[in-house]
Amino acid sequence: MKDVLQLARTHVVTAFRERVTLFWFLIFPLFLLTILTLIFGQLGQEATIHFQIALINEDHAAGPESFSALIESTFVRLSAPQEDSDMPLFDLHQAPQGESASFLETELSELRRGDRAAILVIPQGFHTSVRSSFGGESSGHTLELYMTDASVTSETAAGIIEQILSGINREILIRGNAYHTEQAVEIKTEWLGQQDGKGVSYVDFILPAIILMGFFTNGLFGVPGTLLFNRDRKVLHRYWVTPVTVPRYLTGFALGHLALCVLQFALLYTLGRFAFQANVSFSNPQTILLLLLSAITFMAFGLFIAAIAKTANSGMAVANILNMPMMFLSGMFFPVAGLPTFIRIIVYANPVSYLLEGLRKSVGVQTGTLMPVQLTYLVPLAWILVSAMVASRRLRWDVDP
Amino acid sequence: MRTFRALLLTEIRNYSRDWATLFFTLLFPLIFVLLFGVLMGGIGDIDQAVVGVLVTTDADFGDELIDLLLTSGVRSVKAYTDASKLGGAVEDHVVDFGLRWDGSTLHTLYDASRLQENFAFQQLAEGIAADFDLLRQGAMTPIQVQRIHAGDVEITSWFHLVLPGILAFSVLTAGLFAVSGHLTQMKERSILDRLLVTPMRPTALLVAIAAVRLVIVFLSTLITLFVGILVFGMRFDVDWLRYCIFVVCATFGTMGMGTVIALLVKRPSSAGNIANAMAMVMLFMAGVYFPIEFMPQSLQAASRAMPLTHMAEAMRYVTGVQEMGDLRFWLTSMVFAIVGLVLFPLLARYVVKPSRR
Repeated sequence: MKDVLQLARTHVVTAFRERVTLFWFLIFPLFLLTILTLIFGQLGQEATIHFQIALINEDHAAGPESFSALIESTFVRLSAPQEDSDMPLFDLHQAPQGESASFLETELSELRRGDRAAILVIPQGFHTSVRSSFGGESSGHTLELYMTDASVTSETAAGIIEQILSGINREILIRGNAYHTEQAVEIKTEWLGQQDGKGVSYVDFILPAIILMGFFTNGLFGVPGTLLFNRDRKVLHRYWVTPVTVPRYLTGFALGHLALCVLQFALLYTLGRFAFQANVSFSNPQTILLLLLSAITFMAFGLFIAAIAKTANSGMAVANILNMPMMFLSGMFFPVAGLPTFIRIIVYANPVSYLLEGLRKSVGVQTGTLMPVQLTYLVPLAWILVSAMVASRRLRWDVDP
Repeated sequence: MRTFRALLLTEIRNYSRDWATLFFTLLFPLIFVLLFGVLMGGIGDIDQAVVGVLVTTDADFGDELIDLLLTSGVRSVKAYTDASKLGGAVEDHVVDFGLRWDGSTLHTLYDASRLQENFAFQQLAEGIAADFDLLRQGAMTPIQVQRIHAGDVEITSWFHLVLPGILAFSVLTAGLFAVSGHLTQMKERSILDRLLVTPMRPTALLVAIAAVRLVIVFLSTLITLFVGILVFGMRFDVDWLRYCIFVVCATFGTMGMGTVIALLVKRPSSAGNIANAMAMVMLFMAGVYFPIEFMPQSLQAASRAMPLTHMAEAMRYVTGVQEMGDLRFWLTSMVFAIVGLVLFPLLARYVVKPSRR
């Protein structure tokens, strides 16, 4: 037993000495968790988005009580500095009176260059036209919203401006006695898959995926990398002249590998919990079982690659080819539900898909089922079995004499 | 000239035998494009959304709600008669979101785990709900909004911006690894030492490496671009002259950066690893996969300091999916060219020197 533990320790210490290993297995998952949470964690929330927009009011003559002035004042209010030091939604660029045409030209150039997200133009006669629409004389007036398809920012800003105008529409109708708030349709949002009815926070959603990604890359690259490089450099050969046998070496190696997975998990969980306030809990038995199953499945998969590769370099090439498709076609970062059938075959054959769905369900961030539930354990177990069989038949533990 | 030709041929042979490098320069961008093309094809696109709707039997305006949905631009509308079935359809992603109308309340149902898409679905649902509210009161919308596309380029999905980003990433990796990977590998295998005792001039070797890399970069980016066009039916309005100028400048520029990495590390083999790590960090920070405008201000500033951000923007410009001022394009290209022309020939001499073994 002592030699097994010594081998496990050696595996961990060697991993720590390799800076590349440290980067890919520890630092990169931490970096990815940080950057994805920072970007998507607050997506669409107020005070986290800020747009440079321009407003041209050509209907100044209508006066301060006009509908044109209502629109203008709404956008000015949304651009005013916030008391809580949060950034306002808009940075508003307004046309000086009488310079609308030249201002629009300048702003359009800014929009094309990406320095403006959108330009809203209130045309002359807007107020009168809207008022006449209450008497059925016209069907309202059109505001021009300049934006560009080539920018996601512009698309998003245009959507938000339309929502604001939708609110102003209601305000105008109320003023014109054409809308009755007591008869308004009540709108209720329901978040399915959450017991408290609230949405899932991004960090809770992504944390299980990043943990699984860490285990996956550890198994995919770490296992064949260590075994094949040790074999090719005759490090393993030296073991075989000692009393260490292959099963004992493998046991020690597996323990070391699991220790690295535990360390990965601990670091990622600590970062998620304390830096990004993740609430997701990994303490229930099913979650622990799934985490253990994941670590073993990916280790077995690593042995499978080591068995089919002739050299360490070819092993790394195979791992690289499989890495991206297996990771991305599992639903880790992008939804896979709407994929074409021929791609879905890969999703269904991919053990990561089952482990990820199982893990997300066990921690309570997913309720829907893309994979048949009973396969959550069966497919990864089948992969372990197949990998073990292939490895036991094909994996060479020493260089050819 | 004969020396150079021999070196060039050797480099071509070396490259064609180096399966790992070939994979990373030619096949890797293709895998990226195929994967992301499939995955990002319909993310958050309203015209791809499938909406589930349930109108309870005694609710008025049910038909009007369905008519409104049918004209809202979504891909399809599925009617349900049971609330649990509608909920199940949302959770199992049969529909993207659901609407349940009971005569006084319009319930919008989302799957909480679809975090990256719900933002677009919510915007769509809120628009539909607002229109339905007015329709039910018989009120006409006093303000109509007409979207006017002001740019010269028109794109249909975010993936149109992702693909040129992947091309820029190919250029970055090919350039970075030319020195930090290839040259340092030659050094580690003592190939450089053998070459240096011949009458070969180090400049000839550097030019040969640069020439082969340049051809490979062109091949790689063109293959990736055409796969995008053929497989995903994408349309790019490529300005070939600017495309060529930018690819040459950017490749040289990134070769210069690779040289700096190669000079800074103690062990030659570490250079490739550092370049790899740097490239991966930049890939996520440079707005290749998600717009940098979505990042917090501090990360946006960091992103602006990364060469890949400017490379991706310039590549989008030359492929006709993003606008950019002429001055900015030439400035970006010239900065890369100057970095390459100054750093690569000057510093690479020190990498080639036998004393740095």
